[in-house]
Amino acid sequence: MDDDRFEDVLRDLPRSYNPPPDAPLDEMWTVVEDAHFNAPISIDRSRPFATRAPWLAAAATLVIGIGIGRYLPSRATAATGSQPTVAASVAPPTADTSAVADAYRDQTNHYLGQAAALLISLPARDAKGKTDSTFASKASDLLVTTRLLIDSPAAAQDVKLRSLLEDLELVLVQIARLRGEKTKGDLDLIHQAVEQGDVISRLNSAVATTQSSE
Amino acid sequence: MQPPNGFPDPRVELFSNHGRDGRYNNRVNESQLIARVIAGDRLAGRTLYDTHAPRVYSLAYRLSGDADKAREFTQDTFIRAFARLSQFRGDAAFSTWLHRIVVTIVSNARRSEIRTSREVALDEASSIEVSTPEAEPDLKECIAKAVENLSEAYRMTLIMHDIEGYTHAEIAGILGVPEGTCKSRLSAARAQLRQDLAAFKE
Repeated sequence: MDDDRFEDVLRDLPRSYNPPPDAPLDEMWTVVEDAHFNAPISIDRSRPFATRAPWLAAAATLVIGIGIGRYLPSRATAATGSQPTVAASVAPPTADTSAVADAYRDQTNHYLGQAAALLISLPARDAKGKTDSTFASKASDLLVTTRLLIDSPAAAQDVKLRSLLEDLELVLVQIARLRGEKTKGDLDLIHQAVEQGDVISRLNSAVATTQSSE
Repeated sequence: MQPPNGFPDPRVELFSNHGRDGRYNNRVNESQLIARVIAGDRLAGRTLYDTHAPRVYSLAYRLSGDADKAREFTQDTFIRAFARLSQFRGDAAFSTWLHRIVVTIVSNARRSEIRTSREVALDEASSIEVSTPEAEPDLKECIAKAVENLSEAYRMTLIMHDIEGYTHAEIAGILGVPEGTCKSRLSAARAQLRQDLAAFKE
């Protein structure tokens, strides 16, 4: 075999040596999907969070409810302080609706503020050593509220809020998994997700919006 | 947009957000997809898989020469990669990291096969007394045999460079060797191949 012939052989190798058939992509994906996506924490949008974890949803509703309950008397007192007693006792039904809306907005505002505080206080990308486990547990707490808010009518009506909540969910899931010594890579990914989604400034802007509408 | 060797360019944004087929179709970059997979997002997983699986499968098939094995190796690669995604530091391109996994899986499997086939060959050698003459092999068979006869490092370098079109820089990144080593391996592999095919008469 001369040089030219050998060059031809080399050129023809992609066709002559084990030419691959079409990859059975769907078949392989079924196996990969089954093996991997049975993790305990996953973002599955096919079912609302409230139906996936009803006990957590109930607990979170209770927390929000208590928050609203604690908030309402103080607002009522403030409102009645400058009004005649008779007027307060015969307030029209729309006043209740408005109070609940205010209470909901305040709770959302409070939640957004907590989320922003958590993200701002995260250790830096190059942080070494063990990450404080309080970050993970705080994120877990906020995750429950986030998922409830995503499934709430308020998020359904407010596209920007829903988008922000979904990005927050992603970040909180990652923070909730921050445990143990080796967290540098995880922290990098979290910071990357926060920066790419512009999450902190969107949070601040959402807080400002809810405050200005009060 | 893909470079000639088929590696997805890490700078290129991938299609994301859900389309009619349930997959992502808006523009989201690869690191965002990775973060979503870590968070348990199946659609992000499928998007990442669709981007890389054809190349991974192709390499696995070239190296193994068997469709079932190539399928198994590819599945294994993605299962391991997804399980270790949080360990992906982003020091190398994701495709390089992924290809390191498939190369390791195939190499380990081949090592184990070679060990087993040697044991079987020894057993058979003691029982076979008369060998039947074989037909003259054609060029394709001779090439296949010559490639198989290369050492694992030479064979892998030749397949990745001359057959699958990876650059020396990519092969070096995947195999964890300097580019110079990669080039000298390719040169030696070609020389040996040529020597093995020298006697072939058409």
